[in-house]
Amino acid sequence: MYYQDGEEIFVIDGHVHLWDAREENIIHEGGEEFIQCFYDYHTGFTPEEREWDLDEYRYYGPDRMTEDLFGNAAADMAVFQPTYLTDFYDEGFNTIDQNAELAEEYPERFVLNGAFDPRDGEAGMRDLERQKEEYDIQGVKVYTAEWKGDSKGWRLDSDEAFEFLEKCADLGIDKIHAHKGPTIRPLNRDAFDVADIDDAASSFPDLDFVVEHVGLPRLDDFCWIAAQEPNVYGGLAVAAPMAQNRPRKFGEIMGELLFWLGEDRIIFGSDYALWNPDWLVETVMNAELTDEQKDEYGIELSPDVMKKIMGENVADLYDIDIEAKKEQFRSDDVTEEFGLGDHYGAPDATAD
Amino acid sequence: MSSSTHNDGGPSVPDVRERLDRVTDPELDESIVELGYVDDITPRGSTVDVTFSLPTAWCSPAFAWMMAVDARDEVESLPSVETATVTLRDHMHDSEITEGVNARASFASTFPDADGDVASIRASLDDKARVGRQFEALNALVDAGLTDRQIVELRREDLSLDDGAVFVRDGSVGISVDREPLAEYVEKVEATGLVETGSDVLFRTPEGDPISPDEFDLVHKRSRLANVNMTGQGNICDALNEARFDPDRPETYGPDGEES
Repeated sequence: MYYQDGEEIFVIDGHVHLWDAREENIIHEGGEEFIQCFYDYHTGFTPEEREWDLDEYRYYGPDRMTEDLFGNAAADMAVFQPTYLTDFYDEGFNTIDQNAELAEEYPERFVLNGAFDPRDGEAGMRDLERQKEEYDIQGVKVYTAEWKGDSKGWRLDSDEAFEFLEKCADLGIDKIHAHKGPTIRPLNRDAFDVADIDDAASSFPDLDFVVEHVGLPRLDDFCWIAAQEPNVYGGLAVAAPMAQNRPRKFGEIMGELLFWLGEDRIIFGSDYALWNPDWLVETVMNAELTDEQKDEYGIELSPDVMKKIMGENVADLYDIDIEAKKEQFRSDDVTEEFGLGDHYGAPDATAD
Repeated sequence: MSSSTHNDGGPSVPDVRERLDRVTDPELDESIVELGYVDDITPRGSTVDVTFSLPTAWCSPAFAWMMAVDARDEVESLPSVETATVTLRDHMHDSEITEGVNARASFASTFPDADGDVASIRASLDDKARVGRQFEALNALVDAGLTDRQIVELRREDLSLDDGAVFVRDGSVGISVDREPLAEYVEKVEATGLVETGSDVLFRTPEGDPISPDEFDLVHKRSRLANVNMTGQGNICDALNEARFDPDRPETYGPDGEES
C-alpha cells in the first residue's frame, strides 16, 4: 500500500509478466530483437540507479518477481497479462501456464489472465476452454501484432476474432486486454493500430476492453474511440514512466485521458519487468500537473482520482473487495515472508 | 570560411539548410533540421550531398523514405542545384533507402514486402498534422477575439496571410491575428486537398467536414488531442534513442547465441 499524506492507496498493478528471454529459449532472431527492444525501453525510462543488467532482465524468476512487486509493498496485487510469442521463444515468452506457477502460489495476490489467438482456430477454442476450466480466468490478453508462420498480425474486428470474443462471452471471460502501443522491434507497426477496438467494443457491449499502453502513438484515435464506447478502458503501462523523465508530457497525457475517458476508466500498470513498481508507483503518485495544464484541462491528480487509477478501477472490473483484501493481507504468506504485518496495520484489538 | 560554404555559383550550406527546414518528420510534424536529424550538407558545384540519421534504427522505413525523398526534392528546388543525393545512416534499412531514393526508384519496388503504399501513409499522417496544426490556429483566432461562429464560418478568402489578418462580417471588418500558426495550418489543409478554392470553409472536423458552431468546442479539443499525440511520440523516440546510444549498452546475442 502506498501512503500519501496519511491516505492509504491500495495499488493493483494491472499489467505484469513473468517472462523468459534466456538464450536457450530463443528460437528466432525476432526473440532476441524483442527483448533488446524491451531493454531499450527499460534503460530509456528507468532512473539510472534502478536499472537492471541485461542478464537479470532476460529472466528473473518467480522469487525475484514476488519480492519486486510485493516485498516493499509497492504493489498490493497484480494482474498477469501473458504474451505468448511462441514463434520467437521455444516455451513462449510468458504464457498462462508459466505465470500460473506464481499465481497459484499466491492466489490472493494475483489475477491470472489467459490469452487467445484467432489464427489458432479450433485448437485455440479448445485451449481457451481449458484455460477457463483449469484457472477460472476472467480475462484475456490479446496481442494482435504477434507473428505466426507467414502472418504478421491479426485484427480484433475480423470474423475469426469475433468468434473468439463470442466464445469469451459464453465462458464468462469478460475482460479483453488488447496490447495497442508503441512499436516493438521486430513487430509490424500497423499491427498495433487501435481502430479495430471500435467495432469489437460496440459489437460486444457486455465485454470490457482495456487498451494497454493507451494506444500510444495513437492516443488521439484511442481517446476518440473510448469517448464513444463506455466499455473501453485505458491501461497506463508504458505511459506511466514518462512521469519520471517526461513529466510535462505525462501531465498532458493524463489531462487528455481524464477529459475523454474520465477518472473511472484509467488503470495503472507497471508492465513489470519493463519497470519496477517500487519506483514507478512513487513517481506516478508524485506527478504534478503544471499550472497551465490544470487550467487547460480543468483537472487535478487528487488523492481520490489517484486511488481510482492505482487500484479501485481494476478492483471494480475484477470484483476485488479492497477492504477485505487489506484485512487478509495483514497475515497472508507474502506479508509473513516480507514482514509486512505493520504495513497493513495491526488487527483491531476489539475484534475476535 | 565562406569559401567552404559557397562555390562556383552553387548553393550555400545555409541555403540548403533553409530548404531542408521545410521537410518534416511526418509522424511528429516537426522540421528535420529542428529535430537535429541532418548530419552533413556538402555542396559540390551544382550537386549537393545531404546525410541524415534518425533517432531509432527501426523507425518506420516508410517514414524514413518520405523524409529522404522530401529532402532530395526540396534541395533540388533550389535554382542553383541540379542533383541532390541523400544518404541515410544508422538505420536497419539505410542502404536500401539511400540507394532507392537516389536511383529514384519507388518505395514499392524497394520494399516489396511492405504493407500499404507510401502515398496512403503520407496522406494519413498529413491528415493528423492538419488536425494538430488546427489547434494552434484556432487558439490564435480565439485569442484575437473571434467568436466560435465566426471561426467556423471562415473561408480561405477571408484570411490574408500577407499581413496576418482575418476578415469577418462579410469582409467589412479586418482583425489582426498571429500569422504563423495560421500559415502553418493553411499549408497542411491545402496539402490534404480539403481547401482548394477561396470559398472553401477553412476549419474542419478530423473527418474533414465543416464544423457546426455547437460542435466547435469538441472539435477544438480533438485538435488539441491530435497535437498532444504527435508530440508524445517524439518523447518515446528520444528516450529510446538515448538508450540505444548509451556507451554502457550491453552486447547482444545473435540467433545462434554468439555475441555480435
